Amino acid sequence: MNHILSLLVFFPALAAVLGFVVNKENIRVYGIAVAAIEFVLSLFLWFMFDPSNGGFQFVEFIPLIPDYGINYQLGVDGISLFIIILSTFITLIGLISLTIEKNIKNMIISLLFLEMTMVGVFVALDAIVFYVFWELSLVPMLYIIGYWGSELRIYAAIKFFLYTFFGSLIMLVGMLFLAYLYYLATGTISFSIPDWHRLILPYDYQFWLFLAFFMGMAIKVPMFPFHTWLPYAHGQAPTIGSVILAAVLLKMGTYGFVRFSLPIFPDASIALIGPIAILAVIMVIYTAMVAYAQEDMKQVIAYSSISHMGVIVLGTFAMNIEGIAGSIFLMISHGIVSGALFMLVGNIYDRKHTKKLSEFGGLAAVMPKYALIFGIMTMASVGLPLTIGFVGEFLSLMGFYKISPALTFLGGMSIILGAAYMLRLYKLTFFGPITKEENKKLPDLNWKELTSLIPLVIVVIWLGINPNPVLKPINKSVENLLTLMEKKAITPKAKEILSHNKVELEAK
Amino acid sequence: MEKYVLIALFAPLVGSLFAGAYAMKPKRLITGIVTSALLFVSFISSLILLFYLLKTEEVVRVKLFDWITTGSLTIPFGFVADQVSVIMMVTVTLVSTLVHVYSIGYMEHDKGFNRFFSYLSAFVFSMLVLVMSDNFAGLFIGWEGVGLCSWLLIGFWYYKKDEPRDVNPSISPSWAANEAFIMNRIADLGMLIGLFIIYWHIGSLDYKIVFAHVNLLDIAVITMMGVFLFIGAMGKSAQFPLHTWLADAMEGPTPVSALIHAATMVTAGVYLVVRSFPIYSQIPNIGFYIAALGAFVAVFAASMALVNTDLKRIIAYSTLSQLGYMFVAAGLGAYWVALFHLMTHAFFKALLFLGAGNVMHAMNDELNIFKMGGLYKVMRWTAIFMIIASLALSGIYPFAGFFSKDKILEVAFDSQHYILWFMLWVGAGMTAFYSFRLIMLVFFGEERYKKYGFHPHEAHWYMLAAMAPLALLAIVAGFFEEPFEEFVTQLLPEYHVHIHGILAVALIGLTTLMALSGIGLAVYKYSHGGFSPKWKETFIYKLLYNQYYIPVLYEKLFIEPYKELSKIAWKELDLRIVDATVDFIAGIIYKSGFAGRVVQSGNLSKMLRWMVIGLLILLVLVIVYSPVR
Repeated sequence: MNHILSLLVFFPALAAVLGFVVNKENIRVYGIAVAAIEFVLSLFLWFMFDPSNGGFQFVEFIPLIPDYGINYQLGVDGISLFIIILSTFITLIGLISLTIEKNIKNMIISLLFLEMTMVGVFVALDAIVFYVFWELSLVPMLYIIGYWGSELRIYAAIKFFLYTFFGSLIMLVGMLFLAYLYYLATGTISFSIPDWHRLILPYDYQFWLFLAFFMGMAIKVPMFPFHTWLPYAHGQAPTIGSVILAAVLLKMGTYGFVRFSLPIFPDASIALIGPIAILAVIMVIYTAMVAYAQEDMKQVIAYSSISHMGVIVLGTFAMNIEGIAGSIFLMISHGIVSGALFMLVGNIYDRKHTKKLSEFGGLAAVMPKYALIFGIMTMASVGLPLTIGFVGEFLSLMGFYKISPALTFLGGMSIILGAAYMLRLYKLTFFGPITKEENKKLPDLNWKELTSLIPLVIVVIWLGINPNPVLKPINKSVENLLTLMEKKAITPKAKEILSHNKVELEAK
Repeated sequence: MEKYVLIALFAPLVGSLFAGAYAMKPKRLITGIVTSALLFVSFISSLILLFYLLKTEEVVRVKLFDWITTGSLTIPFGFVADQVSVIMMVTVTLVSTLVHVYSIGYMEHDKGFNRFFSYLSAFVFSMLVLVMSDNFAGLFIGWEGVGLCSWLLIGFWYYKKDEPRDVNPSISPSWAANEAFIMNRIADLGMLIGLFIIYWHIGSLDYKIVFAHVNLLDIAVITMMGVFLFIGAMGKSAQFPLHTWLADAMEGPTPVSALIHAATMVTAGVYLVVRSFPIYSQIPNIGFYIAALGAFVAVFAASMALVNTDLKRIIAYSTLSQLGYMFVAAGLGAYWVALFHLMTHAFFKALLFLGAGNVMHAMNDELNIFKMGGLYKVMRWTAIFMIIASLALSGIYPFAGFFSKDKILEVAFDSQHYILWFMLWVGAGMTAFYSFRLIMLVFFGEERYKKYGFHPHEAHWYMLAAMAPLALLAIVAGFFEEPFEEFVTQLLPEYHVHIHGILAVALIGLTTLMALSGIGLAVYKYSHGGFSPKWKETFIYKLLYNQYYIPVLYEKLFIEPYKELSKIAWKELDLRIVDATVDFIAGIIYKSGFAGRVVQSGNLSKMLRWMVIGLLILLVLVIVYSPVR
């Protein structure tokens, strides 16, 4: 079991290549089988994972270009473990729910290839390997949006590709420069992320490198004002594309903050908390408002994604265990919930071939099962306690309260505005009289849709009631991360914040 | 004893899941019976706990497993049955058992019968989580849980369409449901901030730890805690300015109004303040503001009830007003009095609402009290029950309301807040007036319903039977004042009233006189043809009838601007500015590339010329940057 991570990364890719020889009738079953095996493998990884160890586990190391410090280095810790499981889970669910008929074989092969890149990003411990997977993930997505999308698909696909690619290139320059700085400090070049974690940089370098990395991550998240590619991508992408984009691909950005920005540039991260938090708060409030104005179901969910990502960013920059662990948990819960919501929108789109809110109303009477599951996901999205959505949001905001009560209050508007746009969506879709005659005969969810949705419902409730199995390994790794940051911190402000990030009982 | 805590808590959940399993099937009577039976089990367990506590004074605690653990935060699923929560448990389970039984009759022809019982039991479960949790996070679970169930139940008849506001000032069940949820969320943000303050200063959300350490904190911090927790309480208990949702919540089925929007959920805010007494007793200033707001709401809500013509809304305003009374007591430090009024109010207000449900049934869901009248002849029992409830509400001896409400007035007078006392005193008169205005218009006088072609009939015997225990309690609950005080002050601070003798008697006399004159006025006026229609032209009538124009104001001030702003944010800001900038930059790159194509035209002579130009530029650069000798 020394190579379980390599297996996780390359098994779907290998299966994708083999998929070319599978005939069209069987490709769906083949795809689901592969994704299921991959999911079981990732569960096995969780089973083998030692939750009391906050460091990297299952580390693999094969020198690639040793002279330039580029090595094939993989590993997982509590931070990445669950995002990997999320990726394999969502891919499996997405494949089960797939309704596309057109060129299904290419779709499934793309998805399996995409799965490789997603898992690759989260297990890579070498910046170059990370970067390769990061960029490769764009290719299948470009194809999925550009080929299976709706009318504006080419525009949306190219915008998505170029915009995120642009940010990534700046990040790549940052990586190269960082490796060079490592060379200056130690005499050898290294792209190894754990090596970089140990490197103490002067504040000026930290600041500029932080910004370079930030460009790459922020566009991916996407943070305001770099978010406009996302509504197009979601609006044009087929259901499966939106599901994976929202559930996993966006998380690469916030994962990058936790993996790169915080531990490598602790002082710059802390110095820039203010501006970033302001961007995050704008993101939360502004996109929640935009979501409220939408006339298309899918766009509501798309903008709501951006709004929730704002809370994740707030949590990440809280610089305490509560906030960072909460934000990682929120990444997972948002992945599940937004994935489920996009699938639900897809279900109605399959029936009506429209996502316009004005076409619906009163669906609760004709599609009660659909209304129930949509209702559960709506409540998870607005963060009702005992659903998965509450834990991360609560902890992220709680963590950030230590940094700034005022900004937390503004970020907390998400619980009000989130309820506003989600309940508006729910009311317009499910409540009121049935306005359109043809809606009276809409069939409720069929067994295939139910098999893809019920596991999501179970996860939403199970992790809402008992989040600790996920939260505890995360805590351990976040604790390590914060200890590392505290050791590395050089500016007085960073030292101050990092040494006072726990509860202190102050006597009168 | 632990097992009774768990039975009391989880029996309603089991019932809810059972009924939920039939939610999409046609009506099954069994769902109603099973949920009611399970609630009765829950009620019996609560009673057992009550008697156990009475006998041994031992608080029962149960811990299930840890919910959220991170950093120094550990939130367990912990439940406690102490003097306060056990009183709440008994009240909640008693009223909800009776409302469940009643609903079997009330909802008998509704196609959502099974679904209704599933929601209703889920509500009871959430409410029990709210009152039984031993930490603030658990309370918040229940807090949001009752919010969800209230959303589901207000919007129970989701298929009704939106009506414009000025027809019967109502909208639609789904609209009202969303309004209630969102307005409560505004308050919940305050509550969450309160929890954050508690956590970052104490490191725990457990009541025991928080209350043990709270007096070590700086007074400014405690003030912040108190303020933000109270903002949460204002939402659930519908205090001004977050009150509009409660009247609109009357769109839900009437048993829901009885249980959730009168007897139990809306008292959650009062419960929170009572429960957090170690915080609030440190900050009497804030307590005074709470009391002042309570007194204001007591009069403000009562004034709207004076002129309303909608059977359920009148009772809803009366609920608001009584919540104000409770907050006066809680704010002035008489926590046990607040809890006592909470309990007696639950009994008679639920009774009043269930009676209103009978009337609505008899009148085919007509709500306008001016279309009723003379119903006493056909609905004798309902009328008697509602009169009992109204007497209790008005605070007439020996009914329950007399004891609890009078105590609140005494507290206000005793703590020398004479203005508050005066407001409550006026409120008592208004309460008596609107209660009996309703009774007179519905049950006595001219039989106006005949004009509208209604054929009223009395409700089923078991619906009346379900109301009977409440009627009994509305009469006798007041006599338990002393044992109640003795019991809950084992946990809550005592409150000693210093006025004795002649002054005390005089105060009681004054209040009773006020209530009696309110009743007298209503009975006299409405048995002599009511007020002249000229009243309807006056400014004051219109102001009150339109609820001080507050719903319209909110619509114009918040909802519509928010909609407009959202549209602007999307269409103008997001598409026109943010996205257009991105496309503009992309356009420049594209255009410069297009313009640059001339250098790669493939025409040899042109390309040679470009080469020469390039060489020239390079030469110039070499000269410019050559090191100076």
